[in-house]
Amino acid sequence: MESIIEVRNIKKTYKKRKSKEIITAVNDISFTVNKGEILGLLGPNGAGKTTTIKLICGLLIPDSGFIKVNGIDTQEKRLHALRHISAVLEGNRNLYWRLTVRENLEYFAGNRGKSRKEVALEIDDLLEKFRLKEKEKELVNRLSRGMQQKLAIAVAMLADSEVILLDEPTLGLDVETGYEVREMLQDIVKNYNRTIIISSHDMDVIQNLCERTVIINHGEIVTNDKVDNLLRLFDVRAYTITLDGFLSEHQQQLLLQKFPQLEYIPDTIQSTLKVDLTKSEEIYDLFDVLKLEHTPVESIDKKTVNFEEVFMKIVKGEKQYAMV
Amino acid sequence: MQWFNLFNANIRKEYIELKRYLPNTLAMLFTFYFVFLGMFFGIQVIGDPSVQDINTQYAIVNYVFWFLTIMVIQDIGWQVINEGMRDTLEQLSMSPMGIWKIMTTRLLATTLLNFIIVVFLLFLSMLTTGQWLNIDVGTLLPILLLTLISMFGIGFIIAGISIVLKQVQAFLQILQFILAGLTFVPLTVAPFLAFFPFVKGVDLVRSVMIDGVTLSQIQATDWAILSVNAVVYFVLGLFIFLYCERFAMKRGLLAHY
Ligand SMILES: Nc1ncnc2c1ncn2[C@@H]1O[C@H](COP(=O)(O)OP(=O)(O)O)[C@@H](O)[C@H]1O
Ligand SMILES: [Mg+2]
Repeated sequence: MESIIEVRNIKKTYKKRKSKEIITAVNDISFTVNKGEILGLLGPNGAGKTTTIKLICGLLIPDSGFIKVNGIDTQEKRLHALRHISAVLEGNRNLYWRLTVRENLEYFAGNRGKSRKEVALEIDDLLEKFRLKEKEKELVNRLSRGMQQKLAIAVAMLADSEVILLDEPTLGLDVETGYEVREMLQDIVKNYNRTIIISSHDMDVIQNLCERTVIINHGEIVTNDKVDNLLRLFDVRAYTITLDGFLSEHQQQLLLQKFPQLEYIPDTIQSTLKVDLTKSEEIYDLFDVLKLEHTPVESIDKKTVNFEEVFMKIVKGEKQYAMV
Repeated sequence: MQWFNLFNANIRKEYIELKRYLPNTLAMLFTFYFVFLGMFFGIQVIGDPSVQDINTQYAIVNYVFWFLTIMVIQDIGWQVINEGMRDTLEQLSMSPMGIWKIMTTRLLATTLLNFIIVVFLLFLSMLTTGQWLNIDVGTLLPILLLTLISMFGIGFIIAGISIVLKQVQAFLQILQFILAGLTFVPLTVAPFLAFFPFVKGVDLVRSVMIDGVTLSQIQATDWAILSVNAVVYFVLGLFIFLYCERFAMKRGLLAHY
């Protein structure tokens, strides 16, 4: 597949205003995004997601490395590259609050050199599609947060750029509106042929919308894989074993030696063992230990992990899982 | 065509906001008018009666011009500050037209709109005082045009500084008095001020409006100074603005962090 965004060895540091302390927000990251792909940029707060997005939009100049959009270097030909990009940045201030819904759409189109006439039909379409039609004459400061977010996304769509970047599009929305915005994004993904990067610290958003995810933490890429693959990876190797009785001290010691991350929850009725295995065969080692004292095994469950747990494990630095 | 659409969008935005926030606009006009009345009566009461008329004429021209100067020079500075506070500056910076072009069209738009206001205020002042000045449009227009271009340059410098430093409100307040000083001081007192961005311009405007100087009477050197000022300040202003924009993108200063 043809790549449309290429991020190469990007590094970005900030100097704090008062303390002059240097913060490395993004440290030597590289990834590509294919045409028509929906990429999730996932990471906890402060991981460097916003910085990465802003570097791609040309709002920040990297300390080193380069970014190409459609083959155009964002530093050498910044304005040229910007023709292919639009973005909804973090927070709710992507719009003019003193202008109406329609005026905002028209104004931003004008800023990209388009006349009101040229975009009139397209605006009607977008308003219809995003259920903002009745609100078209409403001032933006009177809209709910969710409506504002929808409008901001509509503005980005109107730019007609191949690439759309969305920084935390559901942040600060209540559950219902968040769901609505997600549906709207799903619609865009399905019906418009755009390349989209969505950043979020909410795994649900990524799991629902994205095919692939780049997970970053402390400014570095921890993993870059298909969302499905990540889930499968963990699905296979996370076991919960229910025991009828207790483990002896000796057994516990042996198990902990072999599996440092093993979790043992003793209970008078049924004890549980939770363990993530690097290789499936390791389960035999575990059973060898159980066999020593003929500990009865009640059940073995392959734990169903959700994306959140995968994410937490990866972020916590259990890299071996992701680096297969 | 793209320029035209850009200009259209920005003048429309400025106009809508001016209209929608009409009370603000009116309050500004009233403030202007009342300060002017104060000045006018001051001249009547404590001024030397033999030069009252000429003093009033100076007051009108200087005050109206000062108003225009503040409007034009501080405009994009304030725009940048406001957009920065509302976090829309980044959306503007992402326009493939370039933020300086957007700011230029906004500047043209506000200048045009403010110009209408200034002409209105001028006539209001003349009506109040009964002092009718010489409004020789053919002579005033080229002078004003060149003077405005140099003011745009200063506007860009201030906007650039605002992007980088953010907290420049206090500086802008002080700047109003510096601008007042430059507008009110006659060139004869300090001839070197002719190379300041708009001092030559206001001096010529005074001689046209008060002394009735005509287009053909204006010296070639005067035109030369006006033109050189216009080009130098505009280019310098743009250069500094672009430099500041780049600096802000390196340091992550475009957003309110
Ligand atoms: N303009 C800035 N100036 C100084 N530090 C910043 C700036 N923007 C972000 N940072 C710091 O850089 C790191 C990464 O921030 P960010 O990219 O916003 O992360 P995320 O979007 O993943 O939460 C954080 O430690 C943050 O405090
Ligand atoms: Mg962020």
